[in-house]
Amino acid sequence: MTAASDPALQTGDNAAALRADELRERATLLGMSVPALLIVGVIVFIPVGWLFWLSFTDGDQLSLTHYRRIADITHARIFWQTFEISALVTVLALLLGYPLAYLMSQLSPRWAGICLIFVLVPFWTSLLVRTYAWMVLLQRRGLVNQTLMDLGIIDMPLRLVYNYTGTVIGMLHIMLPFMILPLYAALRTVDMNYMRAAANLGASPLRAFWTVFFPLSMPGVIAGSLLVFILSLGFYVTPALLGGGRVMMVSMKIQQDAGLYFDWGAASALGVALLVITLGIFWVLSRFMRIERLYGGR
Amino acid sequence: MSKLSVRSQPIAIRDVTKTYGSFNALENVTLDIAAGEFLTLLGPSGSGKTTLLMVLAGFTRATSGHVLVGSQDMTRVPPHKRDFGMVFQNYALFPHMNVFGNVAYPLRLRRVSRSEIDTRVARALDLVQLSHLAERPIDALSGGQRQRIALARAIVFEPRVLLMDEPLSALDKNLREQMQIEIRNLHENLGITTVYVTHDQREALTMSDQVVVIDAGRISQKGAPREIYERPANAFVADFIGESTLLPVQAGADGFAFGGRALRATVAPPGGLFLVARPEKMELHRTDMDPAYNLFEGTLHQLVYQGETVLAQVALPEGQTISMRLTSRREVMAALPEPGKPITLALHPEDTVIVPERGQ
Amino acid sequence: MNRTPALASTALAFAFGATAAGAEGTITFTSFGGAFQDAQRAALLEPTAEAMGITILEDTLTGIAEVRAQVLAGAVTWDIVDLGLADCAAAQEEGILEPLDFDIISVEGFDEAAYSSHWAGIIYFSTVLAYDNDLFGDSPPQSWADFWDVENFPGARSLRNVPVGTLEIALLADGVAPDEIYPLDLDRAFAKMEEIRDHIDVWWTSGAQSAQLIADGEVDMLSIWNGRLDAVVDDGINAGYTYNEGIAALDCLAIPRGAPNKDLAMEALAMMLAPEQQANMPQYINYGPTTSLAFDLGIITDEQVAISPSAPDNLAVQVITDADWWAENRQAVQSRWDEFITR
Repeated sequence: MTAASDPALQTGDNAAALRADELRERATLLGMSVPALLIVGVIVFIPVGWLFWLSFTDGDQLSLTHYRRIADITHARIFWQTFEISALVTVLALLLGYPLAYLMSQLSPRWAGICLIFVLVPFWTSLLVRTYAWMVLLQRRGLVNQTLMDLGIIDMPLRLVYNYTGTVIGMLHIMLPFMILPLYAALRTVDMNYMRAAANLGASPLRAFWTVFFPLSMPGVIAGSLLVFILSLGFYVTPALLGGGRVMMVSMKIQQDAGLYFDWGAASALGVALLVITLGIFWVLSRFMRIERLYGGR
Repeated sequence: MSKLSVRSQPIAIRDVTKTYGSFNALENVTLDIAAGEFLTLLGPSGSGKTTLLMVLAGFTRATSGHVLVGSQDMTRVPPHKRDFGMVFQNYALFPHMNVFGNVAYPLRLRRVSRSEIDTRVARALDLVQLSHLAERPIDALSGGQRQRIALARAIVFEPRVLLMDEPLSALDKNLREQMQIEIRNLHENLGITTVYVTHDQREALTMSDQVVVIDAGRISQKGAPREIYERPANAFVADFIGESTLLPVQAGADGFAFGGRALRATVAPPGGLFLVARPEKMELHRTDMDPAYNLFEGTLHQLVYQGETVLAQVALPEGQTISMRLTSRREVMAALPEPGKPITLALHPEDTVIVPERGQ
Repeated sequence: MNRTPALASTALAFAFGATAAGAEGTITFTSFGGAFQDAQRAALLEPTAEAMGITILEDTLTGIAEVRAQVLAGAVTWDIVDLGLADCAAAQEEGILEPLDFDIISVEGFDEAAYSSHWAGIIYFSTVLAYDNDLFGDSPPQSWADFWDVENFPGARSLRNVPVGTLEIALLADGVAPDEIYPLDLDRAFAKMEEIRDHIDVWWTSGAQSAQLIADGEVDMLSIWNGRLDAVVDDGINAGYTYNEGIAALDCLAIPRGAPNKDLAMEALAMMLAPEQQANMPQYINYGPTTSLAFDLGIITDEQVAISPSAPDNLAVQVITDADWWAENRQAVQSRWDEFITR
């Protein structure tokens, strides 16, 4: 008897068995992601939830003490400075990173790969070392001022470090790869036929770039900008060292409250406030920055 | 239906060469395209047909040579100043604009007034019968709709020349045939000089006024579709266009011969090497036939049933296999011998074409 | 507890200055690492271990937070910890230290600000006014009033970005007598800080940074810890400093609450605080003994005395930081400082 004539194989009553096979396959997929989910749950959500809880308690009571305490002019300034620096670093990183990412997206894979390595080289040295390097370069008798003075371009050394400028320069350098990588990934996928089409339809290279390439690269611009902005919000070492005491970002205040005074409630309140304000900004941006509206058909 | 006005202009390609390192993508190509003509560049992939189109559009800079449109030398004019319309292989419709935005784009670049844009976009969409889709986003369009929008965008600004780069290759067979006719009609309406690139020989024959067969960076033959098909200038064109078996012929003092038999041929150029044996030109030999027919005796190897036609493959004693295509009518098939039996094919002298190796 | 006889005999042995014999055990000593802990090992830990016949293990810390974490978690592994002055006072107030047994520990020769019920100072260091000798030559700034005098002493300036010590400096600059500094007149201090704010090029945050600022010529005068400046001068930088109006501060030693070897630690602490051992310190690093008796033993050379932050002549012209005042007011003052610095 061949398989095809086996009476047991002549019916359609195996639906349940086939369904079980399908469920098993799905369970396997889910099972593989369980370790990652557990890790995220244990090392992210539980501590963050705990800090959230701490920020609303004083002793054993529910209280807004910590929030009332940070509702003063000093904290307002710290928050404003944090967002201002992060926004500035994001914009500058975009301005500097976009042309480079564009160039890389137009190169052959081989040369793009070489460029990519150079973009990634800074990751090989620690953030602290790079920050100190900027200190050495930018200080009063540092390489930059010395060179400019030797060339007779300036008489007095410029104040390039231990202030806002130094902080932005240092952070910009560290953030640039985080801007370039997502930008490059997005720019590379933009079909150059669109640019040809634009040129063919009468757009000069500049017009074609602004009306076609740039809008199509918006996903990369948004991804890179978000990444840089959010990483900048949490910066600690660079503003602490290059800010010369004049720059105070939220993370530095959190460190002060948690590390120096053991005031987890106050530190948590700052963290929660930073999170809420950040989400608020993105909510507003997402309402006003509809790409379709900016570059829409009509 | 309102018409777009078009300035139809002739194109002259003069001695254009394009080399990449030591590779010649185009070699001394000289070609005239008459005003209002629909000309197709046909060739296998890598033949240089797309390169020639890119040189025309200005996306590829020729190594040497000139491109003239009307009386103007366009060789060094950048693409955005050429005023050529182009339909790309994958349409290249801007995904961040809707249908209206795409078609209006070239008009906006030309600073056409808002009301004029509305009128002209409406006219162009009317022409491709998609007026109702103006506000659709591009990703909500079917392949055929995209094709038509790309066409509307390429003609809305009344370009001097229309270029099309394998525009139908992404469509399925039925839609492709329908679009072939529509594009052809549109061309007749507009009378715009059109250069069309394809690797599909049937498409080229269906649509074109003139077909240019390109092989390895050179023009192999230029002519009307029927001329290209019926009178291939060389073995490459004969092989590339349509189905054929190339039978090696022997040159004698008074003409050519195959298998020891003299051939009566209409086209028999000096240096000829092959007889072009096309299946549909072959007939089953009947005794009442004109004795001028060239005859091929062999054995019926097999019959391939193809629906509306049937293909008879015949093994010749010289070693080659030639084919004969017959309609699958009952009485035609009944006349065929059994496979394995002897069979004699006949080819009319008018259809007997002898070609040299390659065109010069 | 069967350790009592040993404990009694070591106490006895110590009292007679004899080598202890028969004591066994291990304690863990925790300090800030680096050159400082190397000096502590040579001057204090090795002699103590030898005298008591015990093993002293070492660990490092960065401040009060880790001590607090151990105590609150009920998992204390350290027996003796070295902390900064403000942390000592704060730790005492938080109740995370064991009280000291002054039957065993002697604080003879200590300034009354240099010990408390739960901690005792182990070294003095000083925040001093330092300056670039090349720039100022024979007429360097000699007081904080000079530091504030931007007309007669032009140059780039730096102060530490913390209120502790810096506000005392502001009051001294404003003419407050050294013995009237505490309790701090905050309004007056911050008003004086306003005057200098725009002339401060860098608000430094770490000791390494302050040393780098003067060594690289990044600033011409600054407040700096005396030990850091010594290191810069040893590297051949032509910088000078004065103890006049220096702000003396302490590092203290203390025993975390619930330390595993509390009793043994108490004995070791007594030995380390004794003048004989403290007198060893200056030959390894220029920090001052906390008991003046250490200067009477003939162990510290005249050259070392001259530059020691706690030599009687040097200490006399300085202000000793009031740890208790700071423990009480630190957080409120810090808020005001933040308001000042971020403006």
